[in-house]
Amino acid sequence: MALLRHILSKLGWYAAAFAAALALNFFLPRLLPGNPVDTLIGQALRGHASSETKQRVYETYVAEFGLDQGLWSQFLTYIGKTLQGDFGTSFSRYPAEVATMIGDALPWTIALQLPAVLLGWIIGNLVGAVAAYRRGGFDRSVYLSSLFLTAAPYYCLAVLLLYGLAVALPLFPTGGGWSFGNSPEWSAMFAVDAVSHWFLPFLSLLLVFIGGQAIGMRSMAVYEVDADYVRFAESFGLPDRKIVGYIFRNGMLPQITGLALAIGTLVGGALLTEIVFSYPGIGTLLYDAILNKDYPVIQAVTLLVLIVVLVANFLVDVLYGLIDPRIRAAERGER
Amino acid sequence: MTLASITNLSAHYTAGDQRFHALDDVALDVRPGQVLGVVGESGCGKSTMASVLSLNPGPSLRVTSGTLAIGGRDVDLTDTASHRALRGGTVALLPQGALNALNPTRRVGAMAHDILAAGDRRITRAESLRRTAARLEALELPPRVLRAYPHQLSGGMRQRVVTALATLRNPRLLVADEPSSALDVSSQRLLVDLLRRLVADGLVEGIVFITHDVALLSELADRIAVMYAGRVVEEAPAKDLVAAPRHPYAQALLASVLVPEPGTRGHRVTGIPGAPPDLRAPIPGCPFAPRCAHALDRCADERPPRLVIGERDDSCWRSAEAEEAAHVR
Repeated sequence: MALLRHILSKLGWYAAAFAAALALNFFLPRLLPGNPVDTLIGQALRGHASSETKQRVYETYVAEFGLDQGLWSQFLTYIGKTLQGDFGTSFSRYPAEVATMIGDALPWTIALQLPAVLLGWIIGNLVGAVAAYRRGGFDRSVYLSSLFLTAAPYYCLAVLLLYGLAVALPLFPTGGGWSFGNSPEWSAMFAVDAVSHWFLPFLSLLLVFIGGQAIGMRSMAVYEVDADYVRFAESFGLPDRKIVGYIFRNGMLPQITGLALAIGTLVGGALLTEIVFSYPGIGTLLYDAILNKDYPVIQAVTLLVLIVVLVANFLVDVLYGLIDPRIRAAERGER
Repeated sequence: MTLASITNLSAHYTAGDQRFHALDDVALDVRPGQVLGVVGESGCGKSTMASVLSLNPGPSLRVTSGTLAIGGRDVDLTDTASHRALRGGTVALLPQGALNALNPTRRVGAMAHDILAAGDRRITRAESLRRTAARLEALELPPRVLRAYPHQLSGGMRQRVVTALATLRNPRLLVADEPSSALDVSSQRLLVDLLRRLVADGLVEGIVFITHDVALLSELADRIAVMYAGRVVEEAPAKDLVAAPRHPYAQALLASVLVPEPGTRGHRVTGIPGAPPDLRAPIPGCPFAPRCAHALDRCADERPPRLVIGERDDSCWRSAEAEEAAHVR
């Protein structure tokens, strides 16, 4: 029962964080200077209409989008609709549904980020643990290259890869989700095309993530390597991979917290990577929405990111207890 | 008749350009069915010797020469790459600080299986658990320990679990590196009884017990070797050494501790003046000479020979000259 109470109290904290973020979500885009309808009309009418027509169109849009109401009543509408799962219509691509736009973009982002995060976490931590255990030259080269990979901003590495593997040495396409003239469908040809477009952004995310995890794991594992239990295990001639496994399991406990903390930055950084490769995911969607001050889309995307980060953090909290028997015991009140 | 004998063991640590000569031509014999105690103050090289003897030297230690004859084969101590197969099965380590020797995220049974599988790759998990349960029972531990994580065991139980794991593959020689130093006296007592029983029951053929605690050794050990500055200066049956040490360092060491025996009451504890020598340069003569009240001229320059008389030996010029004089007469 202590475990249940622990989870419930955690849930309470998450609910509070969610409420605060929901409010910020609404007000922050509206603090952007300018007006979404101006941008929209500027693009739609291109100055050909009389100022009277402009004025009428302007008023229609303002009324349609509800921008003529007070900020407070807009906020209440927003909360009400959001809780019903209604994200409204886009301003810039009126009358497209925000939910449909996100539904179109989301699979691309998931296909990009999920493998990069999972694979990067596993590879990065293993490399870090092996580096700490082996020491010497391997350790130094892992440390230096990891340092480079994490210290370089996401978009820098993305631009470098783009230049190296798509421009200087044209192995991969320079951007987009598929080739011009192709359209998304379930066929082998399209799949090959999509994977070749997917690979570079995936690789740039993977490398950055491996670097960050390897550095963290290495500094954790350096302490574990000198621990008494490692020396004891070595005194039985246990194979290296077993000992690295021991170190990995003990060193990764703080790394899991690190993963939870990193998910926020990771999702944000990954959005930048999508923009560099003009990948048709959430990142590019958000970028366009910000340029056009498309409040509903901005709100919906940031809400989505918010939910992902909160859920991931919650899962990690629960998972942590499963992995470390000592924490499990503490939660059951055995210690 | 010896179970294991070390000859000509020298090793140094390297730190930058400097060398620390931790072991200097050490020779020791362990007899079957016996406990050999090794005693000395900190920095005398006894833990270094434990790491070499358990075939598990640290990465900064360079073994320059030495052979370990055990079970009818000679192990070249300088060739650390060949040692892995012998670890745990031929020689096992009982480490310092049993409380941290167990992997905190692994159940005792799983760890036992890892240890057995390191010696016999085809062993099944069920077989491992069966053998481990039998060994735990011999050490009066309940079978539920197999499913326990280390934090669920008391300190005394962990000590016994570590001992059970160390002897799981029936090693010929058990090297105990100060296993008692973190224990209170009653746990020390239990550990001493446990080790005695391991030898008596034949679970291990011999034990090298390394400690700074002379009083403890006088109860546990059959023979005691005294180390100073990386050398063995005297080795003798435990009773003889405690009653009548020959080497001036052994005399000084025993005079500075209380050994529970008749006459202790009126005994005055004296320290040893001076400090242990700097091990960065090789010492040509006797390392104890600068602190020795009986030092002769030659002690500083010439290495004293190892003089074996009956059951005991020591390396001191005074003994050597006394022996020579006895022969001349």
